[in-house]
Amino acid sequence: MNLKNVLSTSLLIAVIGLSPNSFAEDISEQKLTLASCHVKGIRQQVQCGTLAVPENYTKPDGVKIDINIVVLPAIDSSKENLPFMFLAGGPGQAATELAGQIYRGFNEIRKTRDLILIDQRGTGKSHPLQCEDSLELDPYTSIPENISVSDVEQCLSLFTSDLSQYNSENSIRDFDAVRAALGHKQVHIYGGSYGTRAGLVYMRMFPESLKSVVLDSVGPIEVPIGLFGQSADQSFTKLLENCQNEQSCSTQYPDLTKEFATIKQRLSKAPVTVEIDHPRLGTHTSFTISTIKFLSTIQMQLYSMETRTLVPLLIHQAYLGNYKPLAGLIAQGEGGMGIYVGLLYNIVCNEDYPKISTEMKAQDADNNFAKGMSLDMIGLVCSTWPKYQPSADFYQTVKADIPTLIMSGELDPVTPASNGDKSHAHLPNSHHIISKNNAHIVASTPCGINIVNEFLEKQTPKELDESCLAEIPDESFMVGLNGGAATLDTANTMPTEAKE
Amino acid sequence: MMQLKALMVKEFKEAFRDRRALMVAMSMALLMPVMIMVMLKVAIKEAVDNPAVYVKYTGEQHAPKLIKALKDENILSFADVPEDEERNWNERNIELTIPESFAIDMADGKPIELTLRADFNEKSLSSPIRRIKEVVRDHSLLIGYKRLLVRGIDTKLLQPIKLLEQDTSLPSSNAVMISLILGVYLMMAAFMSGLPVAIDSSAGERERNVLEMLLCQPVSTLKIVLAKLSCASAISIISIILMLFLTSVAMNFVDLTKIGATFSIDANTFVILLLLLVPICFLAASLQLLFAFQAKSFKEAQSTVTMLIMAPSFIPFALMLMDDKPAWVEWVPISGQSLLMEDVFKGLPIDWSALLFTSVATIALTVGLVLILAKRLTSEKVVMSLS
Repeated sequence: MNLKNVLSTSLLIAVIGLSPNSFAEDISEQKLTLASCHVKGIRQQVQCGTLAVPENYTKPDGVKIDINIVVLPAIDSSKENLPFMFLAGGPGQAATELAGQIYRGFNEIRKTRDLILIDQRGTGKSHPLQCEDSLELDPYTSIPENISVSDVEQCLSLFTSDLSQYNSENSIRDFDAVRAALGHKQVHIYGGSYGTRAGLVYMRMFPESLKSVVLDSVGPIEVPIGLFGQSADQSFTKLLENCQNEQSCSTQYPDLTKEFATIKQRLSKAPVTVEIDHPRLGTHTSFTISTIKFLSTIQMQLYSMETRTLVPLLIHQAYLGNYKPLAGLIAQGEGGMGIYVGLLYNIVCNEDYPKISTEMKAQDADNNFAKGMSLDMIGLVCSTWPKYQPSADFYQTVKADIPTLIMSGELDPVTPASNGDKSHAHLPNSHHIISKNNAHIVASTPCGINIVNEFLEKQTPKELDESCLAEIPDESFMVGLNGGAATLDTANTMPTEAKE
Repeated sequence: MMQLKALMVKEFKEAFRDRRALMVAMSMALLMPVMIMVMLKVAIKEAVDNPAVYVKYTGEQHAPKLIKALKDENILSFADVPEDEERNWNERNIELTIPESFAIDMADGKPIELTLRADFNEKSLSSPIRRIKEVVRDHSLLIGYKRLLVRGIDTKLLQPIKLLEQDTSLPSSNAVMISLILGVYLMMAAFMSGLPVAIDSSAGERERNVLEMLLCQPVSTLKIVLAKLSCASAISIISIILMLFLTSVAMNFVDLTKIGATFSIDANTFVILLLLLVPICFLAASLQLLFAFQAKSFKEAQSTVTMLIMAPSFIPFALMLMDDKPAWVEWVPISGQSLLMEDVFKGLPIDWSALLFTSVATIALTVGLVLILAKRLTSEKVVMSLS
């Protein structure tokens, strides 16, 4: 697990900053020409371009940075409908690197609307802030507990730009400048995860640029990013409950809660080291499992319904001493999750972490899943990260009167439905949809996409057809190393490789 | 000039005298947009929608997760078929047999054999069968990936080489079939709507002995031919305009975006299509007159001239099958227009020089045909159909 992964696993949600619309106007008339291009994951041609914006908006003649833009053109070329701008999560995900997924996922919407993807400053090809491979650690032998301040400092030494300008508010100024340069008076925006924070900042700074807003899995300004203790615990507890409610899972894993507690206790004494075949190379390697490695890997699986299916098996096998499923999952995450860690911490350490009081910390850590794991990791990095002061307006509650659709998944480990409620309470023209059998990002299901599509057409957040959400089945789980509904006799003969 | 005018008045009067016959000639323009709309709707439905498929399962209780995966793709159990479709699906008879040992073999990691039984040659079943195969394959792959993953193997090992495709066609040009259909249909209209008039004013007049009278007058045969040509082509042009207009209306009822195509006849496209089709109308009329005069009777004229319609429908298909198109197909009449029309429907910019070339070539050919025809009409053999 390299530093990139370790750092982003502990976090992975989004935040953003905001501030008033005083600047940005002078560049808004700039015209932007797009050229045909290909991006990874899409066979068809799309449109690419860059827009030069000032690094510091108070010094419009100072240093410029190029903002990278990809437009996925609508199938219907009539340009009748306003475009749809996608705000990526993280913070630190590059929207254009998600182009392939968005192209397919938002296919229904792309039929009649252009999709605008912009790499937020500090990500992708917009002056990226990334901790380079020099920090790559072996994800099997090293453990996250050993990451130290000096690793962070080494990463920081790579950055030469004025980090204080890589904040949420400036990102929104960039986005709105792109909107204007593309010649659109208004756009619809979709924010997922941290993208919702960005979206909220956009709503406060440039309300007149937005026709409507979709906030999917909300990280409101009132809830600092990093307070994942309670929500992850809640998401994990529901997973255990759902396993007990499903016949094959409860038969196979009757004591999951106890087993989980046992492993945690075992690992808390000392990390466990086992010998395995390297998941990718096939060579012999030792594999060290620590508390954070174990818990953060599980926490990562809680984000999506697909990976959640593996969690009971993972716990049960680890209890039996077989850590191969864990190694397989870590291999899955190798190569990074496309998070630009530099930007992630630049935003979280300045816009969110300072807002977390000791009291909030204690309350968040009061849980049975990972205690204060996420926050401890953030705290370590933030202790040495350069500081800047977000504008006073940044923490203002957003009350824009724009049609807004808010969506939350009940099983979400990082942006619980209670977050969505907070935003819903302040936004006069909003509606909050909570999907029962959904984790992070409701628009990852065809049903969620259809609701978003209907909202874009009708613009009435309160009168949408949500019936398809009820048809999403309860979660089910992988109950044996070979999958499928294992019968009882075969289950008990499962090979175990306890090697402690 | 006076003579030509008088001849044209005569031809038009004759053509417009029989309103009902004219209406029939125009009916193509009225009916085709409706037909094309229905056709496209059906084609789109086949191409995108996932209509329900009903499968006769045996042993479905052994593999609930697979059955659910199939259900997610709208592949349902025959037990749930609605009454009005029951007969159809009973006949189609797709059977999927799941062995009793499914769960045990799954847990043991042994290969499981399902049997899919159906008439694989039946056209209406090709899409359902493909969908069933895809679901089973994906479901099986997913289990395979997970099995390796939980054994601590990086599943990316299963994809040593990944081919990234970069398609250089324009985003809206995916619907080859649709643009082909539209092209053929406009070309057909140009050929067909003037046809009754052309036959009637040639072979028909000969049988009614009008032609003889006409040729006895002191006018040049060229003028006679030109008058007849103008009349027949005028009618096809009128019907083309009518048809383009109606098609642009009809297209609003078809959601082409579903298949990744965009097409609307705006003023610009309208003019370009008209520019392309008007020379074709002249060519069609002159060809039809030539063949009709060639025939010995009205009946024979009808059959020979009808065969001409093969040309506009056959040439575009032949072009589609040609991988290496020689340069000349771009300006040869009909094939040139057909290629240009394809570009129009794909939303590509128009190659004006090609348009000019093919139009000039078409008109030159028409002039040639007219001259030949004028020459032939001076021969008694042709007039009296003696040969």
